[in-house]
Amino acid sequence: MSTFVEKLRQYSKPGYYDEFDYHWTMTIDLDRCTGCEACVVACQAENNLPIVGEERFAQSREIKWIRIERYWEGEYPNIKMGFIPMLCQHCDDAPCETACPVYATYHNQDGLNTQIYNRCIGTRTCAVYCPYEVRYFNWFTYTWDEPLEQQLNPDVSVREKGVMEKCTFCIQRIRIAKDNAKDDDRRRVRDGEVVPACVQSCPTEAMLFGNSKDPEAKVSKMMKNTRGYTVLKDLNTTPSIVYLKKVHA
Amino acid sequence: MFDHGQPSYAEVNKDILSTMLETGPKYWMLLGMTMSVAGICFFMPWIYQLFVGVGAAGMNHNAVWGSYLSNFIFWIGLSHSGTLLSAVLHITNSPWRKSIYRSAEAMTLFSLMTAALFVMVHVGRVWFVHWSFPIPNEMGLWPNFRSPLMFDVMAITTYLTASSIFIYMGSVPDFAAVRDASTGLRRRLYTIFSFGWRGTAREWHTLGWAYTFFAVFVIPLAVSVHSIVSWDFALSAVPGFHHTIFAPYFVCGAIYSGTAGIVTVMYCLRKFLGFERYIGQVHLDSLGKLLITLSLIWSYINILELFTTWFGGTSYELEALSFRLTGFYAPLYWEMLIFCAFVPLLMLFKKIRLSWNKMLLISVLINIGMLTERFIIVATSQPRKFLPGAFGFYVPSWIEISISVGSFAIFVTLFLIFIKWVPAISIYEVKETLKPLRRNV
Amino acid sequence: MSKISRRDLLQYIGAGGIGVAGGVLYGEGVQRKVELLIPQVIPPEDYSPGVATWYNTVCNQCSAGCGISVRIREGKAKKIEGNPVHPVSRGRLCARGQAGLNVLYNPDRIRTPLQRADRGSENTAEISWDDALTTIGSRIGRLKIEGNAGRIRLLTGRTRGHLDELFAQFMNLLGSEHYQQYDFTYPSALAAANKTSFGTDVLPYYDIENADFLLSFGADYLGTWLSPVHYSRAYGNLRQGRQGQRGKTVQVEPRMSLSGAAADEWIAARPGTEGLLALGIAHVLVSSGSYTGNDRDEWSSALQAYSPSMVSAETEVSEDTIVRIAEEFGASTASLAIAGGATAAGTNAVASIVAVNALNHLAGNLGKPGGVILNSAQTFPAAAGSSPAGLQGALDLVAAMQAGDVEVLLVHDTNPVFSLPDNVGFRQAMENVPLIIALSSFHDETTVMADFILPTNTYLESWGDDVPDPGVGFPVTSLSQPVVAPLYDTLPVGDIILSLARQIGGELPIHMPWASMEEFIKDRWREEFDERMSEGQDQNFEAFWQAVLEAGVWGQPGAAAGGQPESSSSPTIAAIADPVSKFAGDETDYPFVLHPYLTATFLDGRGANLPWLQELPDPMTSVVYGSWAELNPVTADELGIEEGDVLEIESPAGSIRVPAFIFPAIRPGVVAVPIGQGHTSYGRYASDRGVNPIHIVATLMDKQSGDLAWAATRVKITNTGERLRIVKTDGVTRTLGRQILGPGNDHG
Repeated sequence: MSTFVEKLRQYSKPGYYDEFDYHWTMTIDLDRCTGCEACVVACQAENNLPIVGEERFAQSREIKWIRIERYWEGEYPNIKMGFIPMLCQHCDDAPCETACPVYATYHNQDGLNTQIYNRCIGTRTCAVYCPYEVRYFNWFTYTWDEPLEQQLNPDVSVREKGVMEKCTFCIQRIRIAKDNAKDDDRRRVRDGEVVPACVQSCPTEAMLFGNSKDPEAKVSKMMKNTRGYTVLKDLNTTPSIVYLKKVHA
Repeated sequence: MFDHGQPSYAEVNKDILSTMLETGPKYWMLLGMTMSVAGICFFMPWIYQLFVGVGAAGMNHNAVWGSYLSNFIFWIGLSHSGTLLSAVLHITNSPWRKSIYRSAEAMTLFSLMTAALFVMVHVGRVWFVHWSFPIPNEMGLWPNFRSPLMFDVMAITTYLTASSIFIYMGSVPDFAAVRDASTGLRRRLYTIFSFGWRGTAREWHTLGWAYTFFAVFVIPLAVSVHSIVSWDFALSAVPGFHHTIFAPYFVCGAIYSGTAGIVTVMYCLRKFLGFERYIGQVHLDSLGKLLITLSLIWSYINILELFTTWFGGTSYELEALSFRLTGFYAPLYWEMLIFCAFVPLLMLFKKIRLSWNKMLLISVLINIGMLTERFIIVATSQPRKFLPGAFGFYVPSWIEISISVGSFAIFVTLFLIFIKWVPAISIYEVKETLKPLRRNV
Repeated sequence: MSKISRRDLLQYIGAGGIGVAGGVLYGEGVQRKVELLIPQVIPPEDYSPGVATWYNTVCNQCSAGCGISVRIREGKAKKIEGNPVHPVSRGRLCARGQAGLNVLYNPDRIRTPLQRADRGSENTAEISWDDALTTIGSRIGRLKIEGNAGRIRLLTGRTRGHLDELFAQFMNLLGSEHYQQYDFTYPSALAAANKTSFGTDVLPYYDIENADFLLSFGADYLGTWLSPVHYSRAYGNLRQGRQGQRGKTVQVEPRMSLSGAAADEWIAARPGTEGLLALGIAHVLVSSGSYTGNDRDEWSSALQAYSPSMVSAETEVSEDTIVRIAEEFGASTASLAIAGGATAAGTNAVASIVAVNALNHLAGNLGKPGGVILNSAQTFPAAAGSSPAGLQGALDLVAAMQAGDVEVLLVHDTNPVFSLPDNVGFRQAMENVPLIIALSSFHDETTVMADFILPTNTYLESWGDDVPDPGVGFPVTSLSQPVVAPLYDTLPVGDIILSLARQIGGELPIHMPWASMEEFIKDRWREEFDERMSEGQDQNFEAFWQAVLEAGVWGQPGAAAGGQPESSSSPTIAAIADPVSKFAGDETDYPFVLHPYLTATFLDGRGANLPWLQELPDPMTSVVYGSWAELNPVTADELGIEEGDVLEIESPAGSIRVPAFIFPAIRPGVVAVPIGQGHTSYGRYASDRGVNPIHIVATLMDKQSGDLAWAATRVKITNTGERLRIVKTDGVTRTLGRQILGPGNDHG
C-alpha cells in the first residue's frame, strides 16, 4: 500500500513526465499541404488498414487513421478550399484516456496516446469522447482478397472485430529507431531518425515529426512558428500536433 | 385502501399464494410466447452479431454509440422507481406502498438485468467484458478508475446486489408462508428460501430493523446510479452531452419513467392476476400525483437545458441544439415533449387519475417518450461533434430494433417467472394494513 | 511404490518406442502438414527473416518516372516509398505510386497465358507458354516470310528506356514500321507547342521550386500534370522553403483542381478562352513596357488586338484582374507560366500553350532559375519509338484495322478501348483483326478482345530502365529491378518479345541474342559505360552496375542543361492566331461544357483496379467508389438538382448517366465528370462502377498536334428523376466558425 501511495505521489509531482527523453510531436504546415492524400495511402500501407468495400464505406465504417478534411470558404467565384489532415492528435490531456474502463488506451512516457488492441473490449467510449473523431472501430473482422494479404506489414498487428484502433505515430518505427539508438549506445534517437509513414510520403514536405523535448529538433523550432495553432484549442486537450495555418495572400 | 372491502387474513394468503400455486395453460402459453420472442428477437440477432461483429448494428464511425446504449439507459431508468420508491415510502411510512412494492422491486431487478444485457450486446468483444471488473490477475492489470464506465460497473453491480438483498429480505416471511401452504419439493425449497423463518418476535424485530437500514442505504445508491450513468455522457466534451444538469436530469427522468412503469405493471397485475382487491384507486391516485410532480420537474430541466445551451452560445452546442430541434430526428424530439411534458398534465384531473385505462395509456406514452428521449440524446449529439467535416448520421439497423423489442420480452419473461416463485404482493405487509380483526364475527 | 525391474524397464522402453513411432507416423502421415511461418527455412542469401531490405526501382504508375524504394521482408513487398536519391521523387511519393503494391498483389492478375475462343467474352482457356509462343511465333513468322510483315502492328502505352528500344528493334527486324504508342495522358500538344516556342519537343524543366509567381493555365501540377510528385515538392518550397519569401500561385481553370485549391487566386475563365487570357496578359506585359526585348514592336503589333477590354469580354475575367496579374507577373523576379489540363485539350491546344509560353518569353524567365529550363535530348537510351501520337495516331490505326490492313495486333500496357471516345470505334475495328495478342498483367476492355493473353510481370517483378520525362535539367537514367520473385507463371514483357524473336527465327535471334531483358539491359549499359560513362571513373563496369542498382538511378547533376531556349517571335506569333477553342455541339442544344478531368487517383482509368485507390476519397469531393458530375450550386438550384440525382449527360457523341454532385468551385455552365471509372472488365474493384466520360467526348482534335481535344464537347443535362447514392466521407464542408483552419483563417 505504501509503495502504491509513493508511486501516486511521484506521478502527481509536477515534472514527473519531463524526466523522460521524448515527447513526439508533429507539425503540419497547411501552407504546404495540397490535400493530395499521399499520406492516407502511406498510412494504409504501413499500418495494415483494411479495404472495407463500397457497402461498408457507404455506412461510414471506413478505417483511415489519417484523413483529409476539406472546408470551403466563400462562394463562387471567390471561393477557397482549405485542407487539413486529421489524425490522432496524441493529446497530452486526452479525453479518450479517461474514458476507457480497461486502460486499453493510455498515455505513454513518450507522450504518445497508445491503444492496446489486445486489451480493448470495444465499449467505444474513447471514440465518443475524442473531439477529433480519429478513432476507428473494427465493426467487422476484415479480410484481404488473396494475395493482398502478402503486403501486410509484419511489424504491425492486424486487428480483429470489436477493437478500437487509431494512429500510433507509427510506433513500430519509433521502436526500431530506439533499438538502433540503443545498439549504437546513444541515449536518444537522432532528429529525423523516426519518420512516420505519412510524414515520409508527404510530397510537399508539409509534415514534420520529431522530439519536442529536444530544443534543437526541427520540429521544436517549427512549433514556435507564428502561424502555429492547435485545432479545437478551446477544449484544452493540448494536442501534440501543431498546425501551421495557411497564409492568405 | 381496499376498493372491494377488506379481505381476511386467510383470504390474503389464498389470493396471493394462488397466483403461485395454481398455474393455468394461459400462463404457460404466455411464458412460451415471451420466451420465444426473447429468443428470436433478442438472442438470435445477438448471436449473429457476435459472429459478424458489432457492424451488424447501424452504428458507424461518426456515431459509435447507438440504440444499445439508449436502451441501456432506458432500462436502468426503469429500474429506478422500484427499489427507490419502495425505500422512500417505507421510510416515510406510507401505507399504500405495501401492496405494490414487491412487484416494483422486482421490476428494478429485472430491468437492471436487461440493462446489463445491453452492455453485453453493446461492447465489441463481450468475451472479454470481465476485464472491466477489478479482478486480481497475473498481469497486475486493473481497470481504469478514472473512467465513468468503471464508475458505472461499480454502481450498477452494487445497486443490483443491494436491490436483490432488499427484495429478498422483504420476501422472507412470505417465503415462509409459501412453505406453510405447500407440500413436497416446493416445501423443501421454500424451507431453504425462508431461512427457517418462524415468525418469532425477535425475527420480526430484526427484519424490521434490517429492512429500514437497507431502505436508507439504497436511496443514495439509486440516486448515484443514474447520476453515474449520466456521467458516461456528461464527462465527455461532446456538445449535447457535456451538461452539468445531466445527473439530476437523468435521475429525475429515471424515476419518472420508473414510476410510469410501475403504473403499467400494476395494471397488468390487477388485470391478469386478479389483485383488484389489493391494488386500488388509492395507489393509482398517489402514483398519478407523483407522476405529475416528476413530469413538471422533468419539463423544467428540459427548459433549463435549452436555455443554458442557448445562453452558452458556442457554435458546437448551438449546432447540436438546432439539429435536435430541427434536424432529421426533430419529429422524435417533439414527440418526446408531447408524451413526457404535455400528456401527463392530463393527470391533473382526478377523473383521469382514477381511471385505470387512461392511466395505463398515459404511463405507456410516458415510457415511449422516455425511450425516445434516450435515443435522441445518443443519436443526435454524437454524430455531430466538433469537426463539421466528420459530421455523420446514425440510423438503427433491423438487428438493433429487433434486439430492442426482444429486450421487452426478456423483461416480461423474467417477470412471469418471478410471479411463480415469489408472492407478487407482500403478504405480511398487506396484512399489516388490515384493520385488526374481531374474533368470531 | 513397487520396484521396476530391468526387464520391465526394457518392456516399457519398447512400448514407448512403438508409441513414439506411431505418433511420428500419425504426425507425418495423418495430420495436416504444418505450414511454416517463414516460407523458407534456409533463406536465400539476399535476405534474412525479420530484417527488412529496401530495393530501389522505378515507379510505373504514371509517366513521371519517379524513383521508388520498396521494402521487402521475407521475400514479400511491404511498402513503397520514394527513393531519396532519385532527382524526380526525392524520397517522396504520391498515393498512386504507393498503391503499386496493389498492382503486384492484385487478386485479379492474370496468372497464366490464356487463349480466348470468342472475343468480348470473359471465358478463356489456360494454355502453356510453349504452346502460346509457338502458335503466335509461327503466325508472325509466316507473315514475315510472306513479306506481309507490315500487317503486324505493335501498340503500347507510353514506353521509354530500353524496352522502347527492344520493341522498335523487334518490329524493325520483322520488317514492320508499325510500332506506335497511345497514352491518353501524354501531352502531345505541349510537346508540339514547345517545339514551336522553343525549337525542341523535349519537355523542359519547369522550375516551380524557385518561382515567385506561378501562373498555371489548367495544369494540375499537384495532381496529374507531368510529374506531380516532383512539382508537389517544388510547390512546398515555393510556399515555405525560402526564408521570408513566399511564392504566389494563380490557377486558371473552369473547375477547381488540387492546384486550383492550393492557388492564391483561382480564375474560372470561360472554357476554351484560356489562350486568349494569356494573350491579354501578354498584351499588358508588352504595352506596359515591362517587356524590353528588341522584337518588342513585332509583339506589340501581334498582340494589338488582344486588349484587356476585348479579352475581358471574351474570357469573362475582369479587366482589372487581367492587368493586375500581368503586372504582378511582369514585376516578379521569377515568374513562370505553365499550361495543361483543359487548356491543352481544346481544338486550339497548341495555340493556347504557345500563348502561355509566350508569357514566359515576355517575362524573360527562359533558362533562368524559377523559369523554364530546357532539357537536353536524351542520349542514353535514346528514344527509339515515336512518342504517343494522340488521337491522330489512334485514328490511323483504326482506319488501318477497318481497311483490313492489320493481320496481327500486339497490345501492351494501353487500353485504347477505354481511353478513346466511343466514336473512334476502336473496339469495332479490332473485330477486323484476325489475331490480337495482349501482353498484359490484367484483363481490361482491350484485352477482352484479345485471342491470346500473355501475362506480363508487373513493374515490381521486371528489369527495365527509364529516362524521366520531363527531365530534371540534367541527364538522368533510372534503373529498375525486380524486387520480388514473380508471383505467377508470368514473364517480363521484354522476355516475351525476346522469346517471340527466338520463336520466329530468321535473323531475329541473331540480332536479338539476349536470353532475357536483364541481360539485354546490362549489355546495353555495358556498351554505354565503355563508351561514355567510364570517363573519369576508376571503377569497372560491374562495380558501376552494382552502384547504379543500389541507387536505382544514375545521373550527372551539374551537367549542362539543354541550353538557352531560342524563342524567336515569328513562329510563336504565327501560332497564336487561333486563341479560342471550338466546341462540338451547338450552344442552344447543348448548353453545358463537359469538363472531363483526370483524377490524381485513377489518372486515365489505369488505377481503378487498385482497392487502395478506390477507397481513397477524391481530394476535392471526398467521394469514393464511383463517378459523379459536378455542378455549380447556382446552376443546380436553377435546374432543381440535388446531390445524388441521376443526370443524363448527353453530348453529340453519346450519353452517360451519372449522379450529380454540387461543387461550389466550378463555373456555372460547366459540368465536370472525373475520368477513371466506368470500366466494364477490369477486375473486381473497377468493373461496373461509375461512368467513363471519355466515351462521350466528340472526336475533335487539335490540328497542329493531332491530340484529342477532350475538353471541347458540349452537353445537355436532364434530370432523370432517379437517385443514386454518392459514397463520400465528408460531412459538412464549412467550418461553422470553429477556427479549424487556424485563428483568423476561418471565414465560415
